[in-house]
Amino acid sequence: MTATPDRLRIVIAEDAAIMRDGLTQTLTRRGHDVVAAVPDAEALRQAVAQHRPDVAIIDVRMPPTHTDEGLRAAQAIHKEHPGVGVLVFSQYIETQSATELFAAAPAGVGYLLKDRVADVSDFIDAITRVAHGGTVLDPEVVRQLLTASRRGDTLAALTPRERDVLSLMAQGRSNAAIAGTLFISPKVVEKHVANIFDKLGLAPDDNDNRRVIAALRYLES
Amino acid sequence: MVLAKVKAWTRDHPWQADGLLAVVLFGFSVPQVFAGQAGAAARTAFLVVTALVAATVIPRRRYPVAAFAAAAVIGAAQIAFAVGPGQAPVFALQPTNADLAILILLYTLAAYRPRSVSIAGLAICLLGSAVAIARWAPANGAHPVGALFGAAAGLGGLTLTAWVLGDSVAYRYRRAYYASLEERAARLEAERDAQARIAAAAERARELQERRARAVDDSAARLRRIERDLHDGAQVRLAALAMTLGEIKENLEQSGDDRTLALAGAAHQNAKDTLAELRDLARGIHPAVLDRGLGPALGILAGTSSIPVGLTVGLTERPSPAIEAMAYFCAAELLANATKHSGARRVSIAVREQDVGPVLSVTDDGDGGARLVPGGGLAGLRERVQTVDGRLEVNSPPGGPTVVTIELPRHA
Repeated sequence: MTATPDRLRIVIAEDAAIMRDGLTQTLTRRGHDVVAAVPDAEALRQAVAQHRPDVAIIDVRMPPTHTDEGLRAAQAIHKEHPGVGVLVFSQYIETQSATELFAAAPAGVGYLLKDRVADVSDFIDAITRVAHGGTVLDPEVVRQLLTASRRGDTLAALTPRERDVLSLMAQGRSNAAIAGTLFISPKVVEKHVANIFDKLGLAPDDNDNRRVIAALRYLES
Repeated sequence: MVLAKVKAWTRDHPWQADGLLAVVLFGFSVPQVFAGQAGAAARTAFLVVTALVAATVIPRRRYPVAAFAAAAVIGAAQIAFAVGPGQAPVFALQPTNADLAILILLYTLAAYRPRSVSIAGLAICLLGSAVAIARWAPANGAHPVGALFGAAAGLGGLTLTAWVLGDSVAYRYRRAYYASLEERAARLEAERDAQARIAAAAERARELQERRARAVDDSAARLRRIERDLHDGAQVRLAALAMTLGEIKENLEQSGDDRTLALAGAAHQNAKDTLAELRDLARGIHPAVLDRGLGPALGILAGTSSIPVGLTVGLTERPSPAIEAMAYFCAAELLANATKHSGARRVSIAVREQDVGPVLSVTDDGDGGARLVPGGGLAGLRERVQTVDGRLEVNSPPGGPTVVTIELPRHA
């Protein structure tokens, strides 16, 4: 999927200056408007309240405790400003944090491994999707959820192709995006999705965000 | 044998034994009531006085001084009123065989009381004897000097003998008493020395324990700092570098220099791989999520496992960071063991609270038969746990399931 060619208003919260500046420059070069780049959660909340950006990119670990300030701030922002997308990025994958974030906020939410900034276009694509109310979940989180799921027996009933589709679906991809990634037609994707929902015993849902939540709930339970 | 028993009984029953003695003394005196000429009342009074004299021996061991004083008063009355120049003899106060009680009481005094007291008693007795002889001798009608001397020597000798016998008993007692005191003192000193040594050893142990706890905490804190430094330093720089390389690569994709694009692509991939390696390294040093507690950290461990892991964490109080790290790494290693070696399809990790601290148990449904082998992984884990006085137990019958239980203190 290619980035939507619109100009996003972005707030960055990241305590490492080199990353903050690097992100700001890259996003600016790609034609976006970084309205604020701040080093901690408190400044982030002020910046969001002031600028009402399309999306806030938030590091999980920030001062003062360097534990999960970013995660808490993201949840608070999503509650106070439902129109602002929040993309949380973390040095480590923490499945629990991710699912917690998604449980509270089904739309305009993203959780990515920090490494993903290296693939600039994909990263910007993810930012754009979150800004537009979409859902982005790191492939690694999905992989872990699939591996650790207690529903192993049911999941084993899926064909490899259906597993691929489920994985992409859980990452928040639309049918069109899944079709593009797997080089298959949207019609075939629709059929796979229907099969998956059938095999897992889930109610079919065309809404991308809602079906992410359904998939996560299923894998988590 | 019989004598020893009698002695023992006498020692253990002072009142009964001395009561018996009093009866004997009284018994010896009874015939005297028929001697001489006196009325029935006088004879009865004599018996009463005799009984009183004999009775003074009954409390002799409990109240030696009082008993002696009582007997001495009666004796003095006898000396004063029994016979004397120019006075009518009082029959009731005639000397009696029971007067032997005075000598027995002098003996008792010497045996049970300090010398100063017993010598006073001896002096009273000797004085009494002298006065008695002086007063009674003329009344007997005959008073050859030899007989007087004989009586004085006899009475004085008896008195002295009683005192000496008593005193020697006391001396033996005292010597034994002093010896026992000395022995007790020596024993107390030895005990005090031993206690001092134990206290010193305990102090030393406490000191070492504190030092060890500090060392364990310091090293945990240092590892945490290294991870933080990596996170804030190398990892961020590398991520920024990878991002720049990614941008370069994408720019080159547009401009079309294939060789440079290939180089940029390789550099980009290398940076991303290094980032992943660095992340694993940092996590191996100290999982950042541990700062949020053992529960979230184990949650991530369970989440990254290749076999399903059931996790229950029930802690009301957070252990020290060093202990949390130890519990985490133990769980990680046990989970890896179960995954690699046991053929388990499912693992459960449980942490519960015990008086002294957390108890971690890792259970798998694999083949079982896991053992603590010197130099093996489990033995290494146990050694690590023992550095904080923790305990590790393995229960792994052939065929499974395997349960490894680790008890840790709340602080190192």
